[in-house]
Amino acid sequence: MPWNVSAVREVKELVRPYMVWSGLFQTWDMFAPDPKSINSYVRAVVITQDRHIKVWNFPRMEELSFWQRYRKERYRKFAEVLPEREEALWPDVAAHLARRFNGQDDPPYKVLLIQFRADIRPGTDESSEPVYKPNLFYEGYVEPGDLR
Amino acid sequence: MSLRKLAEAWEHFFFTPQSPVPIAVFRILYGICVSATVILMHGDWLEWFGVQAWISPSMMAKVEPGPRLTLFAVMPADDRWIAAFFWIFLGFAVLLTVGLWTRFSSVAVFLCLASIQQRNLLITHGGDAFLRVAGFFLMFAPAGAAFSLDRLIRIRRNREGSAVTPSAPWAQRMIQFELALLYFTSFLWKLKGHTWLHGTALYYVVHLHSIARFPLPEWIQRPMILQIGSWFALLLEFSLGVLIWFRPFRYPLLLLGLLFHLSLEYALNLPMFQWDILAAYVLFLDPADMDRVRSVLRQQWVRHGGASRTAA
Repeated sequence: MPWNVSAVREVKELVRPYMVWSGLFQTWDMFAPDPKSINSYVRAVVITQDRHIKVWNFPRMEELSFWQRYRKERYRKFAEVLPEREEALWPDVAAHLARRFNGQDDPPYKVLLIQFRADIRPGTDESSEPVYKPNLFYEGYVEPGDLR
Repeated sequence: MSLRKLAEAWEHFFFTPQSPVPIAVFRILYGICVSATVILMHGDWLEWFGVQAWISPSMMAKVEPGPRLTLFAVMPADDRWIAAFFWIFLGFAVLLTVGLWTRFSSVAVFLCLASIQQRNLLITHGGDAFLRVAGFFLMFAPAGAAFSLDRLIRIRRNREGSAVTPSAPWAQRMIQFELALLYFTSFLWKLKGHTWLHGTALYYVVHLHSIARFPLPEWIQRPMILQIGSWFALLLEFSLGVLIWFRPFRYPLLLLGLLFHLSLEYALNLPMFQWDILAAYVLFLDPADMDRVRSVLRQQWVRHGGASRTAA
Protein backbone atom coordinates (compact mmCIF):
# COMPACT_ATOMS: atom_id res chain seq x y z
CA MET A 1 0.00 0.00 0.00
CA PRO A 2 1.50 3.36 -0.97
CA TRP A 3 0.53 5.04 2.30
CA ASN A 4 3.22 6.86 4.20
CA VAL A 5 1.46 6.81 7.56
CA SER A 6 3.51 6.07 10.66
CA ALA A 7 1.14 3.34 11.94
CA VAL A 8 1.18 1.60 8.53
CA ARG A 9 4.95 1.96 8.38
CA GLU A 10 5.37 0.37 11.79
CA VAL A 11 3.09 -2.55 10.98
CA LYS A 12 4.93 -3.04 7.68
CA GLU A 13 8.29 -3.10 9.47
CA LEU A 14 6.94 -5.60 11.98
CA VAL A 15 5.53 -8.10 9.50
CA ARG A 16 8.01 -7.54 6.67
CA PRO A 17 10.58 -10.21 7.70
CA TYR A 18 7.87 -12.88 7.92
CA MET A 19 6.27 -11.87 4.64
CA VAL A 20 9.64 -11.81 2.91
CA TRP A 21 10.65 -15.19 4.32
CA SER A 22 7.39 -16.90 3.38
CA GLY A 23 7.11 -15.28 -0.06
CA LEU A 24 3.83 -13.58 0.81
CA PHE A 25 5.00 -10.12 -0.23
CA GLN A 26 3.52 -8.56 -3.30
CA THR A 27 3.87 -5.21 -5.05
CA TRP A 28 1.51 -4.06 -7.74
CA ASP A 29 3.08 -1.03 -9.30
CA MET A 30 3.12 -1.89 -12.97
CA PHE A 31 2.98 1.32 -15.01
CA ALA A 32 2.61 3.13 -11.68
CA PRO A 33 2.89 5.75 -10.35
CA ASP A 34 3.64 6.63 -13.99
CA PRO A 35 4.57 4.45 -16.97
CA LYS A 36 8.14 4.71 -18.21
CA SER A 37 8.62 7.61 -20.56
CA ILE A 38 11.64 6.21 -22.36
CA ASN A 39 12.35 3.36 -24.72
CA SER A 40 15.61 1.64 -23.93
CA TYR A 41 17.80 -1.35 -24.57
CA VAL A 42 21.10 -2.58 -23.16
CA ARG A 43 24.20 -3.62 -25.05
CA ALA A 44 27.35 -5.15 -23.61
CA VAL A 45 30.83 -4.68 -25.05
CA VAL A 46 33.52 -7.18 -24.10
CA ILE A 47 37.14 -6.23 -24.87
CA THR A 48 39.64 -9.08 -24.95
CA GLN A 49 43.32 -9.15 -23.98
CA ASP A 50 44.25 -8.81 -27.67
CA ARG A 51 41.96 -5.78 -27.93
CA HIS A 52 39.28 -7.55 -29.93
CA ILE A 53 35.82 -6.11 -29.39
CA LYS A 54 32.82 -8.37 -28.98
CA VAL A 55 29.28 -7.04 -28.67
CA TRP A 56 26.37 -8.78 -27.02
CA ASN A 57 22.86 -7.39 -27.19
CA PHE A 58 20.32 -8.19 -24.54
CA PRO A 59 17.46 -9.55 -26.64
CA ARG A 60 15.30 -6.65 -27.86
CA MET A 61 11.70 -7.78 -27.91
CA GLU A 62 10.77 -5.64 -30.90
CA GLU A 63 13.33 -7.52 -33.01
CA LEU A 64 12.10 -11.01 -32.10
CA SER A 65 9.29 -13.11 -33.51
CA PHE A 66 6.03 -13.17 -31.52
CA TRP A 67 6.85 -16.59 -30.08
CA GLN A 68 10.44 -15.70 -29.25
CA ARG A 69 9.49 -12.47 -27.52
CA TYR A 70 6.98 -14.40 -25.41
CA ARG A 71 9.72 -16.78 -24.32
CA LYS A 72 12.49 -14.22 -23.87
CA GLU A 73 10.51 -11.49 -22.17
CA ARG A 74 12.41 -11.99 -18.91
CA TYR A 75 15.41 -10.40 -20.66
CA ARG A 76 13.33 -7.29 -21.30
CA LYS A 77 12.53 -7.04 -17.62
CA PHE A 78 16.14 -7.72 -16.63
CA ALA A 79 17.62 -5.19 -19.06
CA GLU A 80 15.10 -2.61 -17.89
CA VAL A 81 15.77 -2.92 -14.17
CA LEU A 82 19.52 -3.47 -14.47
CA PRO A 83 20.63 0.16 -15.02
CA GLU A 84 18.14 1.35 -12.40
CA ARG A 85 18.90 -1.13 -9.63
CA GLU A 86 21.85 -1.31 -7.29
CA GLU A 87 25.29 -1.01 -8.77
CA ALA A 88 26.26 -4.13 -6.83
CA LEU A 89 24.56 -6.25 -9.49
CA TRP A 90 26.64 -5.01 -12.39
CA PRO A 91 29.90 -6.90 -11.69
CA ASP A 92 27.92 -10.18 -11.61
CA VAL A 93 26.40 -9.39 -14.99
CA ALA A 94 29.81 -8.41 -16.34
CA ALA A 95 31.32 -11.66 -15.05
CA HIS A 96 28.56 -13.66 -16.74
CA LEU A 97 29.29 -11.91 -20.03
CA ALA A 98 33.02 -12.42 -19.59
CA ARG A 99 32.47 -16.17 -19.19
CA ARG A 100 30.32 -16.14 -22.31
CA PHE A 101 33.24 -14.76 -24.34
CA ASN A 102 36.01 -16.58 -22.56
CA GLY A 103 38.36 -17.87 -25.25
CA GLN A 104 41.43 -19.90 -24.22
CA ASP A 105 43.84 -17.85 -26.35
CA ASP A 106 42.23 -14.46 -25.97
CA PRO A 107 40.42 -14.08 -22.63
CA PRO A 108 38.18 -11.09 -21.87
CA TYR A 109 39.84 -8.11 -20.26
CA LYS A 110 37.15 -5.50 -19.81
CA VAL A 111 33.34 -5.31 -19.93
CA LEU A 112 31.19 -2.27 -20.64
CA LEU A 113 27.43 -2.11 -20.11
CA ILE A 114 25.64 0.55 -22.12
CA GLN A 115 22.01 1.53 -21.98
CA PHE A 116 20.58 3.25 -25.07
CA ARG A 117 17.64 5.52 -24.28
CA ALA A 118 15.15 7.48 -26.35
CA ASP A 119 12.52 9.74 -24.79
CA ILE A 120 8.88 9.19 -25.65
CA ARG A 121 7.57 12.66 -26.48
CA PRO A 122 3.82 13.07 -26.89
CA GLY A 123 2.90 15.12 -29.91
CA THR A 124 6.09 14.48 -31.91
CA ASP A 125 6.18 12.93 -35.37
CA GLU A 126 5.75 9.21 -34.72
CA SER A 127 6.82 8.15 -38.20
CA SER A 128 10.45 9.14 -37.58
CA GLU A 129 12.78 6.68 -35.87
CA PRO A 130 13.54 7.48 -32.21
CA VAL A 131 17.04 8.75 -31.52
CA TYR A 132 18.75 6.55 -28.92
CA LYS A 133 21.45 8.11 -26.77
CA PRO A 134 24.06 5.90 -25.09
CA ASN A 135 24.57 5.87 -21.34
CA LEU A 136 27.60 3.93 -20.16
CA PHE A 137 26.57 2.69 -16.73
CA TYR A 138 29.27 0.11 -16.02
CA GLU A 139 32.89 -0.27 -16.99
CA GLY A 140 34.97 -2.88 -15.23
CA TYR A 141 38.01 -5.09 -15.64
CA VAL A 142 37.63 -8.85 -15.61
CA GLU A 143 39.21 -10.53 -12.59
CA PRO A 144 40.65 -14.05 -12.95
CA GLY A 145 38.01 -15.33 -10.51
CA ASP A 146 35.20 -14.05 -12.78
CA LEU A 147 36.02 -16.63 -15.42
CA ARG A 148 35.66 -19.66 -13.16
CA MET B 1 -24.32 -3.42 12.70
CA SER B 2 -23.69 -4.93 16.11
CA LEU B 3 -20.49 -6.75 16.96
CA ARG B 4 -22.39 -10.03 17.15
CA LYS B 5 -23.78 -9.60 13.66
CA LEU B 6 -20.33 -8.67 12.41
CA ALA B 7 -18.91 -11.85 13.94
CA GLU B 8 -21.68 -13.89 12.36
CA ALA B 9 -21.06 -12.32 8.97
CA TRP B 10 -17.34 -13.05 9.34
CA GLU B 11 -18.06 -16.65 10.32
CA HIS B 12 -20.45 -17.07 7.41
CA PHE B 13 -18.09 -15.48 4.88
CA PHE B 14 -15.02 -17.50 5.82
CA PHE B 15 -16.31 -20.70 7.36
CA THR B 16 -19.82 -21.64 6.20
CA PRO B 17 -19.20 -24.70 4.04
CA GLN B 18 -19.64 -24.12 0.32
CA SER B 19 -19.03 -26.07 -2.84
CA PRO B 20 -15.32 -26.59 -3.56
CA VAL B 21 -15.98 -26.44 -7.31
CA PRO B 22 -14.64 -22.85 -7.77
CA ILE B 23 -11.37 -23.60 -5.95
CA ALA B 24 -11.04 -26.89 -7.86
CA VAL B 25 -11.45 -25.10 -11.20
CA PHE B 26 -8.97 -22.49 -10.01
CA ARG B 27 -6.53 -25.29 -9.13
CA ILE B 28 -6.67 -26.54 -12.72
CA LEU B 29 -6.19 -23.07 -14.21
CA TYR B 30 -3.46 -22.30 -11.67
CA GLY B 31 -1.62 -25.52 -12.49
CA ILE B 32 -1.77 -24.69 -16.20
CA CYS B 33 -0.41 -21.18 -15.55
CA VAL B 34 2.47 -22.49 -13.43
CA SER B 35 3.31 -25.23 -15.95
CA ALA B 36 3.25 -22.73 -18.81
CA THR B 37 5.51 -20.35 -16.87
CA VAL B 38 8.07 -23.10 -16.25
CA ILE B 39 7.91 -24.31 -19.87
CA LEU B 40 8.29 -20.80 -21.28
CA MET B 41 11.48 -20.33 -19.26
CA HIS B 42 12.84 -23.76 -20.22
CA GLY B 43 15.61 -22.53 -22.53
CA ASP B 44 16.91 -20.16 -19.85
CA TRP B 45 16.58 -22.17 -16.63
CA LEU B 46 20.31 -22.20 -16.10
CA GLU B 47 20.85 -18.67 -17.43
CA TRP B 48 18.63 -17.29 -14.68
CA PHE B 49 18.99 -19.87 -11.91
CA GLY B 50 22.10 -21.93 -12.68
CA VAL B 51 25.44 -22.00 -10.90
CA GLN B 52 26.81 -19.39 -13.28
CA ALA B 53 23.60 -17.44 -13.75
CA TRP B 54 23.39 -13.74 -14.54
CA ILE B 55 23.09 -12.96 -10.83
CA SER B 56 24.79 -15.15 -8.25
CA PRO B 57 22.86 -16.34 -5.16
CA SER B 58 25.22 -14.38 -2.90
CA MET B 59 24.60 -11.16 -4.85
CA MET B 60 20.85 -11.72 -4.78
CA ALA B 61 21.04 -12.14 -1.01
CA LYS B 62 23.01 -8.91 -0.82
CA VAL B 63 20.53 -6.78 -2.77
CA GLU B 64 17.44 -8.48 -1.31
CA PRO B 65 18.59 -9.25 2.24
CA GLY B 66 16.88 -11.34 4.88
CA PRO B 67 16.21 -15.04 5.35
CA ARG B 68 14.04 -16.55 2.65
CA LEU B 69 12.18 -19.79 2.13
CA THR B 70 14.02 -21.23 -0.86
CA LEU B 71 15.06 -24.72 -1.84
CA PHE B 72 18.12 -23.26 -3.56
CA ALA B 73 19.59 -22.76 -0.09
CA VAL B 74 19.75 -26.53 0.46
CA MET B 75 20.35 -27.67 -3.12
CA PRO B 76 23.89 -28.61 -4.22
CA ALA B 77 25.42 -25.90 -6.43
CA ASP B 78 25.35 -28.07 -9.52
CA ASP B 79 23.53 -27.35 -12.78
CA ARG B 80 22.38 -30.96 -13.07
CA TRP B 81 20.57 -30.63 -9.74
CA ILE B 82 19.07 -27.33 -10.80
CA ALA B 83 17.82 -28.75 -14.11
CA ALA B 84 16.38 -31.77 -12.24
CA PHE B 85 14.69 -29.37 -9.83
CA PHE B 86 12.87 -27.70 -12.72
CA TRP B 87 11.70 -31.02 -14.17
CA ILE B 88 10.40 -32.07 -10.76
CA PHE B 89 8.74 -28.67 -10.37
CA LEU B 90 7.04 -29.11 -13.75
CA GLY B 91 5.99 -32.63 -12.79
CA PHE B 92 4.30 -31.41 -9.61
CA ALA B 93 2.61 -28.56 -11.50
CA VAL B 94 1.11 -31.15 -13.87
CA LEU B 95 0.06 -33.35 -10.91
CA LEU B 96 -1.60 -30.35 -9.32
CA THR B 97 -3.45 -29.59 -12.55
CA VAL B 98 -4.88 -33.09 -12.81
CA GLY B 99 -5.42 -33.27 -9.05
CA LEU B 100 -3.23 -36.20 -8.12
CA TRP B 101 -1.75 -36.08 -4.59
CA THR B 102 -3.27 -32.63 -4.64
CA ARG B 103 -2.27 -31.43 -1.17
CA PHE B 104 1.32 -32.62 -1.48
CA SER B 105 1.57 -31.30 -5.05
CA SER B 106 0.30 -27.88 -3.98
CA VAL B 107 2.94 -27.70 -1.24
CA ALA B 108 5.66 -28.76 -3.68
CA VAL B 109 4.53 -26.25 -6.32
CA PHE B 110 4.45 -23.40 -3.80
CA LEU B 111 7.93 -24.26 -2.50
CA CYS B 112 9.37 -24.51 -6.01
CA LEU B 113 7.67 -21.32 -7.19
CA ALA B 114 8.78 -19.36 -4.13
CA SER B 115 12.31 -20.76 -4.56
CA ILE B 116 12.80 -19.64 -8.16
CA GLN B 117 11.32 -16.23 -7.51
CA GLN B 118 13.43 -15.66 -4.39
CA ARG B 119 16.47 -16.84 -6.34
CA ASN B 120 15.99 -14.09 -8.95
CA LEU B 121 13.54 -11.38 -8.01
CA LEU B 122 14.67 -9.11 -10.81
CA ILE B 123 12.81 -11.01 -13.52
CA THR B 124 9.49 -11.64 -11.80
CA HIS B 125 6.37 -9.71 -12.70
CA GLY B 126 3.15 -9.08 -10.80
CA GLY B 127 1.52 -12.18 -12.25
CA ASP B 128 4.37 -14.37 -10.94
CA ALA B 129 4.05 -12.83 -7.50
CA PHE B 130 0.30 -13.38 -7.54
CA LEU B 131 0.83 -17.05 -8.40
CA ARG B 132 3.23 -17.33 -5.48
CA VAL B 133 0.87 -15.77 -2.94
CA ALA B 134 -2.18 -17.61 -4.28
CA GLY B 135 -0.13 -20.82 -4.19
CA PHE B 136 0.43 -20.33 -0.48
CA PHE B 137 -3.30 -20.26 0.25
CA LEU B 138 -4.03 -23.02 -2.24
CA MET B 139 -2.04 -25.37 0.00
CA PHE B 140 -4.76 -25.01 2.65
CA ALA B 141 -7.75 -25.18 0.29
CA PRO B 142 -9.84 -28.27 -0.56
CA ALA B 143 -8.47 -27.98 -4.08
CA GLY B 144 -8.67 -31.70 -4.80
CA ALA B 145 -12.27 -32.08 -3.64
CA ALA B 146 -13.64 -31.83 -7.18
CA PHE B 147 -12.44 -32.38 -10.76
CA SER B 148 -9.41 -34.34 -9.57
CA LEU B 149 -7.89 -37.77 -9.95
CA ASP B 150 -7.75 -37.90 -6.16
CA ARG B 151 -11.55 -37.68 -6.06
CA LEU B 152 -11.92 -40.34 -8.75
CA ILE B 153 -9.68 -42.63 -6.74
CA ARG B 154 -11.68 -41.94 -3.56
CA ILE B 155 -14.98 -42.68 -5.34
CA ARG B 156 -13.55 -45.86 -6.80
CA ARG B 157 -12.47 -47.01 -3.34
CA ASN B 158 -15.94 -46.13 -1.95
CA ARG B 159 -14.50 -43.49 0.35
CA GLU B 160 -16.61 -40.75 -1.18
CA GLY B 161 -20.06 -40.47 -2.73
CA SER B 162 -20.98 -38.91 -6.04
CA ALA B 163 -21.92 -35.59 -4.40
CA VAL B 164 -19.11 -33.13 -3.74
CA THR B 165 -18.67 -32.40 -0.03
CA PRO B 166 -18.93 -28.69 0.88
CA SER B 167 -16.10 -27.23 2.96
CA ALA B 168 -15.02 -23.96 4.60
CA PRO B 169 -13.91 -21.51 1.89
CA TRP B 170 -11.49 -19.41 3.98
CA ALA B 171 -8.47 -20.17 1.79
CA GLN B 172 -10.45 -19.31 -1.33
CA ARG B 173 -11.52 -16.06 0.32
CA MET B 174 -7.89 -15.17 1.01
CA ILE B 175 -7.01 -15.59 -2.67
CA GLN B 176 -10.04 -13.47 -3.58
CA PHE B 177 -8.85 -10.82 -1.13
CA GLU B 178 -5.38 -10.96 -2.62
CA LEU B 179 -6.75 -10.33 -6.09
CA ALA B 180 -8.99 -7.47 -4.97
CA LEU B 181 -6.11 -5.99 -3.00
CA LEU B 182 -3.90 -6.09 -6.08
CA TYR B 183 -6.34 -4.04 -8.08
CA PHE B 184 -6.94 -1.59 -5.26
CA THR B 185 -3.21 -1.16 -4.56
CA SER B 186 -2.58 -0.66 -8.25
CA PHE B 187 -5.27 2.03 -8.28
CA LEU B 188 -3.66 3.78 -5.28
CA TRP B 189 -0.17 3.66 -6.82
CA LYS B 190 -1.47 5.17 -10.02
CA LEU B 191 -3.06 8.03 -8.08
CA LYS B 192 0.41 8.95 -6.88
CA GLY B 193 1.53 9.73 -10.42
CA HIS B 194 0.26 12.50 -12.64
CA THR B 195 -0.06 10.77 -16.02
CA TRP B 196 -3.02 8.55 -15.04
CA LEU B 197 -5.06 11.44 -13.70
CA HIS B 198 -3.97 13.61 -16.60
CA GLY B 199 -4.97 10.84 -19.00
CA THR B 200 -1.64 10.57 -20.83
CA ALA B 201 -0.47 7.32 -19.21
CA LEU B 202 -1.69 5.00 -21.95
CA TYR B 203 0.07 7.13 -24.56
CA TYR B 204 3.38 6.15 -22.97
CA VAL B 205 2.32 2.53 -22.51
CA VAL B 206 1.43 2.02 -26.18
CA HIS B 207 4.70 3.69 -27.23
CA LEU B 208 6.92 1.39 -25.19
CA HIS B 209 8.40 -0.68 -28.00
CA SER B 210 9.82 -3.39 -25.76
CA ILE B 211 6.43 -4.52 -24.46
CA ALA B 212 4.40 -4.06 -27.63
CA ARG B 213 2.89 -7.24 -29.00
CA PHE B 214 0.38 -7.18 -31.85
CA PRO B 215 -0.20 -3.98 -33.83
CA LEU B 216 -2.94 -1.71 -32.54
CA PRO B 217 -5.60 -0.18 -34.81
CA GLU B 218 -5.01 3.47 -35.69
CA TRP B 219 -8.17 4.72 -33.97
CA ILE B 220 -7.13 3.32 -30.59
CA GLN B 221 -3.98 5.42 -30.68
CA ARG B 222 -5.85 8.71 -30.94
CA PRO B 223 -5.06 10.93 -27.92
CA MET B 224 -8.68 11.19 -26.84
CA ILE B 225 -9.21 7.41 -26.90
CA LEU B 226 -5.99 6.88 -24.93
CA GLN B 227 -7.10 9.52 -22.43
CA ILE B 228 -10.46 7.82 -21.93
CA GLY B 229 -8.68 4.47 -21.73
CA SER B 230 -6.35 5.76 -18.98
CA TRP B 231 -9.26 6.94 -16.87
CA PHE B 232 -11.21 3.76 -17.58
CA ALA B 233 -8.26 1.67 -16.34
CA LEU B 234 -8.21 3.67 -13.09
CA LEU B 235 -11.95 3.29 -12.60
CA LEU B 236 -11.89 -0.40 -13.40
CA GLU B 237 -9.02 -1.11 -11.01
CA PHE B 238 -10.83 0.69 -8.22
CA SER B 239 -14.06 -1.20 -9.01
CA LEU B 240 -12.34 -4.60 -9.18
CA GLY B 241 -10.76 -3.87 -5.83
CA VAL B 242 -13.81 -2.57 -4.00
CA LEU B 243 -17.12 -2.96 -5.84
CA ILE B 244 -16.40 -6.60 -6.73
CA TRP B 245 -17.53 -7.53 -3.21
CA PHE B 246 -21.06 -6.29 -3.90
CA ARG B 247 -23.12 -8.91 -5.65
CA PRO B 248 -24.99 -6.65 -8.16
CA PHE B 249 -21.69 -5.33 -9.57
CA ARG B 250 -19.78 -8.62 -9.54
CA TYR B 251 -20.56 -10.27 -12.88
CA PRO B 252 -20.54 -7.06 -14.95
CA LEU B 253 -17.16 -6.19 -13.39
CA LEU B 254 -15.77 -9.67 -14.03
CA LEU B 255 -16.85 -9.37 -17.65
CA LEU B 256 -15.25 -5.93 -17.98
CA GLY B 257 -12.10 -7.23 -16.27
CA LEU B 258 -11.99 -10.19 -18.64
CA LEU B 259 -12.23 -7.91 -21.68
CA PHE B 260 -9.66 -5.56 -20.15
CA HIS B 261 -7.10 -8.32 -19.59
CA LEU B 262 -7.75 -9.91 -22.99
CA SER B 263 -7.13 -6.56 -24.67
CA LEU B 264 -3.90 -6.21 -22.66
CA GLU B 265 -2.92 -9.75 -23.68
CA TYR B 266 -3.34 -8.68 -27.31
CA ALA B 267 -1.53 -5.36 -26.96
CA LEU B 268 1.26 -6.09 -24.47
CA ASN B 269 3.93 -8.75 -24.44
CA LEU B 270 3.79 -9.76 -20.76
CA PRO B 271 3.90 -13.56 -20.84
CA MET B 272 1.24 -15.28 -18.69
CA PHE B 273 0.58 -12.09 -16.73
CA GLN B 274 -3.05 -11.69 -17.80
CA TRP B 275 -3.78 -15.43 -17.56
CA ASP B 276 -2.32 -15.60 -14.04
CA ILE B 277 -4.78 -12.93 -12.94
CA LEU B 278 -7.76 -14.14 -14.95
CA ALA B 279 -7.40 -17.64 -13.49
CA ALA B 280 -8.54 -16.27 -10.13
CA TYR B 281 -11.72 -14.73 -11.56
CA VAL B 282 -13.35 -18.14 -11.29
CA LEU B 283 -13.19 -17.80 -7.49
CA PHE B 284 -15.73 -14.99 -7.67
CA LEU B 285 -18.30 -17.12 -9.44
CA ASP B 286 -21.22 -18.38 -7.39
CA PRO B 287 -21.00 -22.20 -7.12
CA ALA B 288 -24.76 -22.39 -7.80
CA ASP B 289 -24.26 -20.48 -11.06
CA MET B 290 -21.38 -22.78 -11.97
CA ASP B 291 -23.63 -25.79 -11.34
CA ARG B 292 -26.30 -24.25 -13.57
CA VAL B 293 -23.79 -23.71 -16.37
CA ARG B 294 -22.51 -27.24 -15.88
CA SER B 295 -25.99 -28.76 -16.12
CA VAL B 296 -26.79 -26.69 -19.24
CA LEU B 297 -23.55 -27.86 -20.84
CA ARG B 298 -24.31 -31.43 -19.82
CA GLN B 299 -27.79 -31.19 -21.33
CA GLN B 300 -26.30 -29.79 -24.53
CA TRP B 301 -23.78 -32.61 -24.55
CA VAL B 302 -26.45 -35.27 -24.00
CA ARG B 303 -28.71 -33.70 -26.64
CA HIS B 304 -25.82 -33.47 -29.08
CA GLY B 305 -24.72 -37.02 -28.25
CA GLY B 306 -28.32 -38.26 -28.52
CA ALA B 307 -28.73 -36.57 -31.92
CA SER B 308 -25.49 -38.15 -33.11
CA ARG B 309 -26.60 -41.57 -31.94
CA THR B 310 -30.01 -41.12 -33.62
CA ALA B 311 -28.28 -40.11 -36.86
CA ALA B 312 -26.02 -43.15 -36.59
